[in-house]
Amino acid sequence: MEQYGLDLHGQMILEAYRSDMAVFEKMRQFIDSQLHGIVEDNGLYVTAIESRVKSEQSLAGKLQLKGSKYASLSDITDILGARVVAFYSDEVDKIAALIETRFDVDWDNSVDKRKLLELDRFGYRSLHYVCHIPPSLFADESMPQLNEYRFEIQMRTALQHVWATMYHDTGYKSGMEIPKTYLRSLNRMAGLLEIADEEFSKLRIKINDYRRQVHALVADGNFDAVNLDGDSFNNYLALNPFKYLIEKIASINQAEIYQDTLRPYLPVMQGMGFKTLGDVERMRFECSEYAYQLALHQLATTDIDIVALSLSLQNLCIVHIYKQGGGIDGLLHFYNMLFGDNGYNATRAHRTLEQLDKINIV
Amino acid sequence: MNVTINQQDNLVKVTLSGRADTTNADRFQTDITPLLNLEKPDIEIDCSEMEYTSSQGLRVFLMLQKSVNAHGGKMVLRNMKPQVKEVFDITGFSNIINIL
Repeated sequence: MEQYGLDLHGQMILEAYRSDMAVFEKMRQFIDSQLHGIVEDNGLYVTAIESRVKSEQSLAGKLQLKGSKYASLSDITDILGARVVAFYSDEVDKIAALIETRFDVDWDNSVDKRKLLELDRFGYRSLHYVCHIPPSLFADESMPQLNEYRFEIQMRTALQHVWATMYHDTGYKSGMEIPKTYLRSLNRMAGLLEIADEEFSKLRIKINDYRRQVHALVADGNFDAVNLDGDSFNNYLALNPFKYLIEKIASINQAEIYQDTLRPYLPVMQGMGFKTLGDVERMRFECSEYAYQLALHQLATTDIDIVALSLSLQNLCIVHIYKQGGGIDGLLHFYNMLFGDNGYNATRAHRTLEQLDKINIV
Repeated sequence: MNVTINQQDNLVKVTLSGRADTTNADRFQTDITPLLNLEKPDIEIDCSEMEYTSSQGLRVFLMLQKSVNAHGGKMVLRNMKPQVKEVFDITGFSNIINIL
């Protein structure tokens, strides 16, 4: 201990730290699992959950600088620290609210650094809670200190984390005073990232609003008002629009239906010029009977008793192309989009065209 | 239906020959069972000597594809004869299984 040059008071605190290391490690594991639980149970998506027990060297450094400030080890609140890094600023608030319900927060020592900055200042923005583990949540008779020591939880966004890390690396603890012009640049970056944080949050709200709007339009059957994209197609598929057709096709041979994904057809239909869900719906109404006739022609003479759900959409697209006068080129383009450009698609297209010619599509 | 498997770690080359029909689909399934538990398998199936597949054969391919997907791997069927490809096409299975 003499290696750190601490006074007697500092040595006593450091000795207490050493003897309670197992307590801090147990606390760390428990808090880490609680934070993971909070995030997972509430469907939150974070970039990182980290925790650490302060190293002996770091504590000794702190005691050298301001050891007299602490009457005992329990006055030092950052021996154990955890950090949750979220994507969005509003999620930081959600995580904070959940942490408040889980742990006892020492409000006198907790800080919302986001609110501390002056109106014309930019810099470190993070939410720090100093907490206890309440005995009702977790206790161990052999380690009563578990509920006595406080710990710190930092909550911040990914961009706040980036700035804090850069600042730490280049300014705050670099051990060398850096010119004010560079500090000014660092602080300008903080302002830029704060704007980016806000814009990401606003954008997410707008996207969620759009998704809700699409969901409502699809549910109401206003298909022409909905652009064909990933979200709208997923909402549309939730209505099982091809259920009737595939069940009718499966009835040809009393076949089992394998529920495969229809997602690969989104870019294909976009490539066919479909702009809205209304275009998909019109194809479904106008081509379903012929899509069934095509399957009947292909399957009736076989003993095949399993079909994929996607066969319904495959045949609808094929019939649509034929009805639009797409001919061999249209079918070849369709197969190239669906299966990739390969030498067999021309054979597929010719064979399909022969089959379509036999079912009297008008 | 004959199944030959040549495996080097997760790289697996399978050769199929004959007919995957009702009479031998069980054996086909048994033969490919060792491939079902591979992590991130990279399976290439040569179908150049395969003459036919029935629904039972399709189910075995489907089972293998689902296992490959679940284990984060990839699978491709190569050199398939046109009459076999047609079975995959008219059932929609060409949408599920990667056939080159």
